[in-house]
Amino acid sequence: MKYSGKMIQFNTSISRRDFIRKFLKGYFGLTFGAMLTGCHLRETQSAETFIAKAPDYGIDLASIIKAGLSELGASVQEIKGKRILLKPNLVEPHRGAGHINTNPLVLRGAIEAFKSFKAAEVIVAEGPGHYRDTHLVLEESKMIDVLWEDRIPFVDLNNDQWFATPNLGGTTKLQHLILPATLQKVDWIVSMPKMKTHHWAGVTLSMKNLFGVMPGMFYGWPKNVLHREGIEESIIDINTTVKPHFAIVDGIVGMEGDGPIMGTPKNAGVIVMGRNLLAVDATCCRIMGINPFRVGYIAGSEHKLGPIRENVIRQRGEKIESVRVHFELLEKIHAHRGLR
Amino acid sequence: MRKKEITSVVDTIAGRSAPGGGFSEHTGTPFRADATAMAILALKTAGSHLHLLESARSRLVSEQLADGRVCLAKDQLQAFWPTALALLAWNGSYAYRKHRDLAIHFLIGASGKHWKKKENSPLGHDPSIKGWSWIEDTFAWVEPTALVIMALRLSGYAEHARVSEAVHLLMDRQLPGGGWNYGNTIVYGQELYPQPESTGMALTALAGKVEKREIARSLDYLKSQIRSTRTPLSLGWGLFGLGSWGDRPAEARRLIVECLSRQNKFGAYGTTLLSLLVLAYKANGGFLDAIS
Repeated sequence: MKYSGKMIQFNTSISRRDFIRKFLKGYFGLTFGAMLTGCHLRETQSAETFIAKAPDYGIDLASIIKAGLSELGASVQEIKGKRILLKPNLVEPHRGAGHINTNPLVLRGAIEAFKSFKAAEVIVAEGPGHYRDTHLVLEESKMIDVLWEDRIPFVDLNNDQWFATPNLGGTTKLQHLILPATLQKVDWIVSMPKMKTHHWAGVTLSMKNLFGVMPGMFYGWPKNVLHREGIEESIIDINTTVKPHFAIVDGIVGMEGDGPIMGTPKNAGVIVMGRNLLAVDATCCRIMGINPFRVGYIAGSEHKLGPIRENVIRQRGEKIESVRVHFELLEKIHAHRGLR
Repeated sequence: MRKKEITSVVDTIAGRSAPGGGFSEHTGTPFRADATAMAILALKTAGSHLHLLESARSRLVSEQLADGRVCLAKDQLQAFWPTALALLAWNGSYAYRKHRDLAIHFLIGASGKHWKKKENSPLGHDPSIKGWSWIEDTFAWVEPTALVIMALRLSGYAEHARVSEAVHLLMDRQLPGGGWNYGNTIVYGQELYPQPESTGMALTALAGKVEKREIARSLDYLKSQIRSTRTPLSLGWGLFGLGSWGDRPAEARRLIVECLSRQNKFGAYGTTLLSLLVLAYKANGGFLDAIS
């Protein structure tokens, strides 16, 4: 289906509190509606996440990710023959600033894990948000070395063939989303973000990472249309429409303070995984010492995309309390205020 | 050796001609307006496969909408950024004067979103200055603004008020430490990082419009990066940025050939990238000199 709607200007001045209020107001209607569709509710009201301690990038990350897949019920039977798309966060690379992007060794661990589960193909894809020069992004992040050595195909999602599909989220005023054709050719989309604070969205984790699937040639650099429509609203629409299958969060060294680019490295020493991205992001928030109900797009996604309440997210692996490490939030940053 | 390699690249570009005229970004993919415009410039400058140019220019005409814009796809009106590239591709051909005028009219009438800066804004730049955006109804950024400046300058509009204001925008977006990125300078008190590609494009657009001392730190930044840059967009525009100010490195052609050789690792470059490298190889100075 081709996009036929006209782009509609959207008021981006909505505050995070307004956003949460709007969704909490809609929550009751949504809950009532969900009572009528009990099956959907059951699917979105409980989830499992897996936390593993990973003190540094030198350890056997493939084994950790394999253990996480198994703990979360993924089996060789389920993954065998599937085409897996790994989507790291490569928003903007700089030499000596490895805490901006997903570490290549975590990506390598995921490649090995999915291959050991007999995936038919593993590809890596990203549409960098701040750089048009995707080759430079791969080089500066050192991702190209892993791709080259492991002979893994890479797709530049900013410049892929494309298709338009109805916006199933309906949170922004975009009638359709334009997506890379590669998404139609894979069985699993795995979001592999870095665990970071974010100066516009509060945090950037597996859901926000999907900004990188939106083609720059139709959304601009840095994804201008999504900023115009509202970052938090766009996150919900993209995740509702794309329906990613899995998340593996690189929280070994994350970023605190003025993320997603200019923050400081934060040793959190964790890998967080799960099939439900909202539950994964809520768990990551708790690890970071952030209340997920106070992050607008996470609160606004509850019931629509999954659970965020701690008592309905079954925790595998480590307990949250055993790995919790408060990420610095800055008072001068509006989106950070009140997140604890 | 180098000449042979560039000839091979030119042949590769020509081999990506699309059914119905124009060029695709990769073998087996459909026509794309940006790839077509860049391929026209590269083949014209190389003086090779010239028989493909007229059908390619005509294809761009068939893609042009009544208001003058040339979009990435005809049903994606918001993605109008290839218009500036089409204008460059039609340059110098009288037969396309009407279409050039239409594109110029569209570009002069189009601008990114802009607004008066709020007192408590965390942004360092001035959002009230008009430039051009990638996508309709979004904010103006460095690269699309630089591209339109180049296209309008080559079309005889160097002194137009919109060009002057856009030059002002680029200068406003120059990072205090030198260089440009996509278009943010300081956010929440922190200066952001520069990028070679954006810096090269901005310097190319600004050559002859501002004093060298005003962009000296950006030239220094780009000089510090260029010898270690081996990726096509950054190298191509980086060389043009330096060349526009008389600072093209002596080893430019060697860098380009090394960049081309890295397709072994990266896979085949797209037509837009190969065309940029051909243009940078053939040039002695800036982008506008190379294509005019």
